[in-house]
Amino acid sequence: MGESGNAEMNPLSQAVISGLMMGTVYALLATGLVIVYHTSQIMNIAHGEAYAVGGIVSAVMAGLSLPLWLALAAGVAAAAAFAVALEWLMLRPRRDWSINGLILVTLAVAFFMRGVLNLWVGADPLSFPRLVSGRALRIAGGALPPQGLLLIIVGLAAALAVPLFLAATRPGRQLRAVAENPDAAALMGVNVDRTRTMAFAVAGAYGALGAVLLVPLISVDFQSGLGMTMRGFIAAALGGMSPLPAVLCGVGLGLAEALVNTYLGALAQDPIVFLALIGVALWQSRMIRFGGSLRA
Amino acid sequence: MKNLLAMTLFGVTAACSATAAEPFNVGVIAPTSGPVATVGVRQLDAIRWWQQDVNGKGGIKGRSVELITCDDQGNPEVAVTCARNLIDKHAVLILNCSVTGPVRATLPLVKDGPVMIVASPAILPDPSTYVFQGMPTDLDMTRALYDFLNRNGVTRVAMIAATDATGEVAVQDANKVFGASTMKFALSRIDLKANDASVQLAKVMSDNPQVLYSSYSGGGAITVVKSFTNLGLTIPLIVNNANATDAFIDVVKNDMPPVLMSIGLQSMVPEDVADAKTREHIDYFKKSYLAWKHEPDDQLNQLGLLLADIADSVLRGVPDPADPKAVKTFLESTPINSVQPVHYSPDNHIGLKTDNVVVVQYKDGHWAKAEMPK
Repeated sequence: MGESGNAEMNPLSQAVISGLMMGTVYALLATGLVIVYHTSQIMNIAHGEAYAVGGIVSAVMAGLSLPLWLALAAGVAAAAAFAVALEWLMLRPRRDWSINGLILVTLAVAFFMRGVLNLWVGADPLSFPRLVSGRALRIAGGALPPQGLLLIIVGLAAALAVPLFLAATRPGRQLRAVAENPDAAALMGVNVDRTRTMAFAVAGAYGALGAVLLVPLISVDFQSGLGMTMRGFIAAALGGMSPLPAVLCGVGLGLAEALVNTYLGALAQDPIVFLALIGVALWQSRMIRFGGSLRA
Repeated sequence: MKNLLAMTLFGVTAACSATAAEPFNVGVIAPTSGPVATVGVRQLDAIRWWQQDVNGKGGIKGRSVELITCDDQGNPEVAVTCARNLIDKHAVLILNCSVTGPVRATLPLVKDGPVMIVASPAILPDPSTYVFQGMPTDLDMTRALYDFLNRNGVTRVAMIAATDATGEVAVQDANKVFGASTMKFALSRIDLKANDASVQLAKVMSDNPQVLYSSYSGGGAITVVKSFTNLGLTIPLIVNNANATDAFIDVVKNDMPPVLMSIGLQSMVPEDVADAKTREHIDYFKKSYLAWKHEPDDQLNQLGLLLADIADSVLRGVPDPADPKAVKTFLESTPINSVQPVHYSPDNHIGLKTDNVVVVQYKDGHWAKAEMPK
């Protein structure tokens, strides 16, 4: 038995690289949650299922020997269709329900979708080939696979495009108008239903984009969705449900998780992440009580 | 003529009463959803194969076998409910295919029976109880791994273990075995739901190990394998016995480490099984399971078969399997023929030992006896 032959690794560098990769996915998920929240005031608990649907459909299609790009496109389309169906079939007919009631509907849809995916593909995790392969890039003792680099570049670009889209484009301004006052937006000629449908479709596609970029590096199974909703929700809440802060908080959450894992151990990860969430929630409620402008 | 008529009538009545006899209720607790679903689904598949095989041949003593299954989701609280339900439904035996935490939670419920056969290597049943272990213990498997590494001149080993109860036992056993040796041992823990193991791998790789052992069972092991490849690591990677499956290989096939090994029962390498009767039994199962399920069997299926074989032996050999004391006495005194001969005694409820464990390597599309690269 010879020496290991593996380059020496620096845990800090690896934590930063891994944190950026996971954080980018959290940023995409948080962005989707924020878009939906801004058009419907609903925290969509089924949002992570778009990640699961996108990943699983892509894996199944790739397993059927479809060209990879087609399999991934099918995954994104399926996730967008799932999100639109949620809005059309479950939320729009119940528009007169309370927000809390509608959030519970999205929770029920999340568990329903888990069951459907379980029946369809079983309990085993799935994956599919990388879009870009090759040797990992060595950066200061850390390793970044080419697929990871693609994930960070494409994912962050997509996530950061949303604040720009909302601020600088006509459909983006319509989305914001619907969020502020749907009745007034309708009077101004904005098609509220179409705008909400567009928001759900974009959110679903963003969830799936996270999956098609990340799943080749890990795997996906029928129960991946709820965990992703949770991470996306934490990032969105930490960012005050605003698009740009949510992206930054998603990346920060990924980095924080990786650093806690490295220096405090895996057992400390959940307590510290949720402690941060509690801290921010208390701080934001204090801002509201004392006249601040933040709201969660 | 009268006698002939009476005999015919008696024969028909006896046959009718045999076919109409109450089935044997065998309880099965298996996590078929949740983070360790792969472990439960595959064992349950093999137990279902046994049920249809036995019932297709007329049952046992003229009685069919009925399975009462319960999905514990790998959750101790649900496992307790499962065990209660199975006891209420008068299961004569409970086959518990779950992992450490849920199995531990069910142990107090069977203190007065029925006999429960478990398949979690982390459980060490007290011989005074009605609990029997179907697997070699985790300690035995860790010893087998140590022997293999030591024979091959390895002096530095790293380990990734989950933060759940199974991981806790694996860490304790690794500390016992590697800690008592001169082998250098580095450890990192990972959350069962983690999506990335790069950070944990980077931590242990900074000690320059020659081999990495991942005791992580269930789907999470895929995270370790993929992260291992993402980092471009080339040392041999040894995965938990629960991951020596085709389904596992199918998911990691695009990210295969240069050398992938696992620890498992000797039956994973049937050509090395010395006993002809045992080899014949394994061959029959492999062929019949393939025809029934349309997919080849794996290590977890064989583990399910082992539990089913124990149940089969009890139902055939014990006059009243509903009597837990009789079942316990039978198991403590009767060797069971399965994928490997299982021997219990009044002082020992663990049927397999270190000698029954083999380190295997995935090469040329199947698991074969491992050879450490030079």
